[in-house]
Amino acid sequence: MIENVIETTENCRYCLMCRHVCPVGHVTRKETLTPHGWGLTIASLRRGLLEIDESSVDVIYSCADCGTCRANCVTDQPLPSAIAAMRAEIAGQGQAPLAVVDIHEKLQAWGNPYSNEVPEESGKAAEVALFVGDDAHFLDSNSVDAVKRLLSAVNVKPVLVGVGRNNGYLASSLGFPETAAKLARATLDELQRSGAKSMLVLTPGDYYVFHQLHDERLGLSWPEGISLLEVIPFLAEQMNAGNLTFNRLSDTMPFAYVDPTHSVRVSTRYDAPRQLLAAVMPMPARELFWHRERAHPCGNVALQYTQPHIANHLTYSRLGDALESGARLLITEDPGSVTHLQKHAGRFGLRIQGLYKLLADQLA
Amino acid sequence: MRVGIQNEMIRSELEEVVGRDFISVDKTDQLVYSTDWSWMPQMWLDRGQELRTPDYIVHPGTIEEISDIMEIANKYLIPVIPFGGGSGTQGGALPVYGGIMVDLKRLDKIIEIDEKSLTVTAESGIILSQLEWVLNEKGLTLPHYPASANCATLGGCLAPRGTGTISTKYGKAEDMVLNMEVVLPTGEVIQTPIVPQHASGPDFFRLFLGAEGTFGIITKATMQLDYIPETRLLRAVLFDDLGKALEAGRQIMTKRLTPFVIRLYDPNSTRSRVRKILGYELDGAYMVLGFDGDPDIAALQEIKAMEICTELTATDLGREPGEKWWEHRYDFYYPPQNLKLPWMYGTTETVTTYDKIENLYWSEKRAVEEGFADWGVQFIGHFSHWFHWGVMLYCRFIIEDPPQDPQVALRLHNRIWNTAMTAVLENGGMINEHHGVGLKLSRYMRRQYGDSWPFLLRLKNTIDPNGIMNPGKVGFGS
Repeated sequence: MIENVIETTENCRYCLMCRHVCPVGHVTRKETLTPHGWGLTIASLRRGLLEIDESSVDVIYSCADCGTCRANCVTDQPLPSAIAAMRAEIAGQGQAPLAVVDIHEKLQAWGNPYSNEVPEESGKAAEVALFVGDDAHFLDSNSVDAVKRLLSAVNVKPVLVGVGRNNGYLASSLGFPETAAKLARATLDELQRSGAKSMLVLTPGDYYVFHQLHDERLGLSWPEGISLLEVIPFLAEQMNAGNLTFNRLSDTMPFAYVDPTHSVRVSTRYDAPRQLLAAVMPMPARELFWHRERAHPCGNVALQYTQPHIANHLTYSRLGDALESGARLLITEDPGSVTHLQKHAGRFGLRIQGLYKLLADQLA
Repeated sequence: MRVGIQNEMIRSELEEVVGRDFISVDKTDQLVYSTDWSWMPQMWLDRGQELRTPDYIVHPGTIEEISDIMEIANKYLIPVIPFGGGSGTQGGALPVYGGIMVDLKRLDKIIEIDEKSLTVTAESGIILSQLEWVLNEKGLTLPHYPASANCATLGGCLAPRGTGTISTKYGKAEDMVLNMEVVLPTGEVIQTPIVPQHASGPDFFRLFLGAEGTFGIITKATMQLDYIPETRLLRAVLFDDLGKALEAGRQIMTKRLTPFVIRLYDPNSTRSRVRKILGYELDGAYMVLGFDGDPDIAALQEIKAMEICTELTATDLGREPGEKWWEHRYDFYYPPQNLKLPWMYGTTETVTTYDKIENLYWSEKRAVEEGFADWGVQFIGHFSHWFHWGVMLYCRFIIEDPPQDPQVALRLHNRIWNTAMTAVLENGGMINEHHGVGLKLSRYMRRQYGDSWPFLLRLKNTIDPNGIMNPGKVGFGS
């Protein structure tokens, strides 16, 4: 696998053109923990200038795999995939950090990192499937209920798939492509058995994984004849077509929308959540500094297991950014992002609100 | 790497200053900080050779910490190398004698934006693009747009006297700076006068511009800003003769038509780089012209400039090729479109007056092409920073199939540089205009300065008595 990505690391090892947007580089200010640093580290491992040891493994496992570098690369270098491939080589040699091995064992056994619970299939069929995944199921099941209410308002009754199962990102990011492929296949098989003609996903992270990661990193094709849609853009489209209406809140505190983790990987989704919020909020949104193609992750990436202090700093950075903007209320839809922001919001004097519940509560 | 108790003494003292999280003697960090954007160290690593690494990498968070680091370095007589974005192309940030690498990127606060005087005061470790985003939200811009803006720090623009894409109207970084705070090699912190244009004594503040960290570390700067221009008019013209194109540029500048950009590619660049990045297949010298600011004034300036170009038989290519260049002006630097290994390359940029520039270009081109024809050397150039009195020539040599042995490759690289620099110096040019001297050009400093060189050496010895600051650079030894 590593042979397939040599060209990318050779290209990135001396390129500094995306360093200004790298979230890990931004919170650590360390040259080694930037796209150029990771590229050079991998290139130097190949040349025998570094060894796979605690030092280099620590560096390789410090990338957030958030896609911000690639989203800002004129020549679309897939560096995060190259780093994942290097991690696979490290894991293959039995040199992955203990925390990584521990998470991998959980993913192998339970399909998620949160609970000793095997995902159960509903066995039902429907025109539309809704991928739930592990974050929404274990961290924020209210969001799933809210999405069902919202979809019901436009006469969509989805069958739930992948309930409690990781979409494959976590295993892929940590360097276990086979486990990632197994989890991905399980969801794709379940989707096909449901007979659905389209699958909705709750987050840009899910969309990226099914739309791009499975193919690029795992060699899995998306099933023909099934469309893939993200819920928020779908709802915005329905609202703009006049099929969905909301009651506007009468009062609220200054607020901002937080582009969820992996938003930069879906360049077309920027306006949709903002359009929906404009329909329910009584005042214009504040805008975070790190938004659009430079939107940083909220901490809910594989780093939370490998380098929790860096993951926490990513969360602090988002919260600090929000505070700077004058917002007191932060709204986003990704259950993982909501959970991470929520964990530390108190110390910044901020409140976090799930977008799905907010929208469902304001349905006209 | 020093070993034993002394090494641990230095490390622990540095840790005491910056804190445990902000010092590293880690092997991976040392390797990453052993190189910058210059060809030499990259080639060396590419061929599996080890570089001299810094012994300690520190990330200070305050000016006082930098001052304390200087004290430790003076006590143990070890080098201090300032590190900003690491985007220098001449090896200015290489730790050639080891020592303490001081990464300044934690010093990245914007201290004040004065919307009346149009200035910004910021710490020197801020990355230019990040600073620019903040300014743009207020309708302002720091009109220093180098290709390295995404990685270069504010201090890194000032220390080597950097130039950006729109310098022709707005000046070099050094023309935008009003004042600076500097930590001297002795650890003292000094603040230069609030404005540079005065008559209250000598202009010592300029000593730190171009010193590339050999006279101290710039920690803060106040920069002049501009409003984001209301309009930017761009268009391109094609000349069949480089001399006519240079004359057009000279007339536009000496008649004070104030273009924000004149980008003139020589015929080789037009055939290769312009074709590759912008997709235009053209023969001749491709020139992009830009005028900005008030729409009426910019339009009139453009008309006058086009009259000059037409008089000199240029073909008007219209707006689209100019606007496309502006939109993609940094695409030239993204791999794999940029110059990259395993090629051998170097940027021998220079500057001189209008009366000498064309002869300098042809002399350097001839010397390099004839001297290294056996290696299939390519010589390309463009003229991109124009002054009232002359213009910068940005030349590059490229060998696509260089020797594999790193020592042989380095010797060949040095020989090409010697040839190019000899041509530059013999034809009245400076050894560079904006990339800095760094390590690569250090050996030409005595020739460049002649009788003035001992004076510069005395200055260095006075400011940095122990010679700790960035040794081996700008012609100053260890």
